[in-house]
Amino acid sequence: MMPIWTKSGKKHAVTLLKVQDCHVLRYISKEESGGKTSKLLVGGKNASPFFKSESTMEIFKEAGVPRKQKVSTFNVTDDAIIKPGTPLYAAHFRPGQFVDVTAKTIGKGFQGVMKRWGFKGQPASHGQTKTHRRPGAISTNKAAKVYRGKKMPGKMGNIYRTTLGLKVWRINTKHDIIYVNGSVPGHTNCLVKVKDSKLSTYKDCNKNPPFPTFFADGDEKLPEDLYDEEMFQFTDPSITYA
Amino acid sequence: RISSDGKLAKFQPPPKPVIIDKQKQREERRFLSPEFIPPRGRTDPLKFYMERKDMIQRRKVFNIPEFYVGSVLAVTTADLYANEKANRFVGICIQRGGKGLGATFVLRNVIEDQGVEICYELYSPRIQAIEVLKLEKRLDDNLMYLRDALPEYSTFDVNMKPVSHLDHEEVPVNKLQVRMKPKPWSKRWERPKYNIKGIKFELPEKTMKEAQKWSQPWLEFDMLREYDTSKIEEKIWKEVSEELKK
Repeated sequence: MMPIWTKSGKKHAVTLLKVQDCHVLRYISKEESGGKTSKLLVGGKNASPFFKSESTMEIFKEAGVPRKQKVSTFNVTDDAIIKPGTPLYAAHFRPGQFVDVTAKTIGKGFQGVMKRWGFKGQPASHGQTKTHRRPGAISTNKAAKVYRGKKMPGKMGNIYRTTLGLKVWRINTKHDIIYVNGSVPGHTNCLVKVKDSKLSTYKDCNKNPPFPTFFADGDEKLPEDLYDEEMFQFTDPSITYA
Repeated sequence: RISSDGKLAKFQPPPKPVIIDKQKQREERRFLSPEFIPPRGRTDPLKFYMERKDMIQRRKVFNIPEFYVGSVLAVTTADLYANEKANRFVGICIQRGGKGLGATFVLRNVIEDQGVEICYELYSPRIQAIEVLKLEKRLDDNLMYLRDALPEYSTFDVNMKPVSHLDHEEVPVNKLQVRMKPKPWSKRWERPKYNIKGIKFELPEKTMKEAQKWSQPWLEFDMLREYDTSKIEEKIWKEVSEELKK
């Protein structure tokens, strides 16, 4: 995470996300998948092809791509279908866009009720016998049972969570890095899924995004760094309020 | 040319000038700002590389001078609510923290009998000028004990003139031993964990002996705590100096 300053002098914290060898693996049509839209399978970071079963390696062989560590699905409209095997780059996103980031949260293991659900526990002194971090009562007398989904101790973390509506401040095309506002679920160097935001306030935020994606061998030659309009670039002199 | 004899004098070449290569003397002393050295962790080195690029870019446009904890600085920031839209603060640097773009330094001064500490970010675009009025080092890395010292040690004249310092000379170390206000202090500075050498402790010997009970002599031999930065520093110094020369 890094600080970033706007032209008015305000500071924001930013997370760096690297797009590492992303390729489109397979196209699944609407009828095949059984959903409302067709799907595209996308694979992430390269990994070793050894000690894996034939069935898992089939998908990668068809696309002609080395084995990927993470495979995720994206729901796509019919006009945005991409041929399997095309590489995806960070320039697919543009600064000023809003993005949702999904990842597995940091696993905390088996945790008690105070850390997992934020219960208040019991006082430390004044006669408490062996009861300082326990849940207390779990149901009422009339219910005569414990409801399903009752908050109790258990394994915490290591589940998929999404942070919605994160602004993209900057894109580095040379190293394929996306600078995303705020914090993102997961530990450092974990694999993350980045999608266009589903929030209705950011529906019209994209002005001419690269559609269906940014092709490196195309005509567009982008500069090494793409900045948002409001972001302070270090090539400018210091800010003055005149 | 005709000399007084009337015959042509033999041509005497002028004496060779003595060239003192001051650049060589300057290069012997290197200073790498502490925020360039990455902390020990599992982060990808690419992240530190990107941060360093930004830091070097900022240094090309705006001059961040070399300074240490204990030097007196004057900082002008852009302030929306000030008269001239600019705010100047003079103080002694008591702490340098943070790594990368978020590096900070705290300046302390006593203005009209009120102690004031301001924490500035080195790479913030609102800072318009940093001048080093007095470049010197002290016996410690962290001068937070000045809060419990007599106010005369933290007062610096707001209009003081910059003290000149030659480039090739070594940075002077001020071996001042500071006198403290009576206890209670904000922290127990006599305890060995702070390892302070710049205080003149006027406490009874009994207190000093009792403070040694909290000493942890095994810490300096702990191998897992070792972080040798010499090689990393070399690489980063080469990178930074090459980029800044361009």
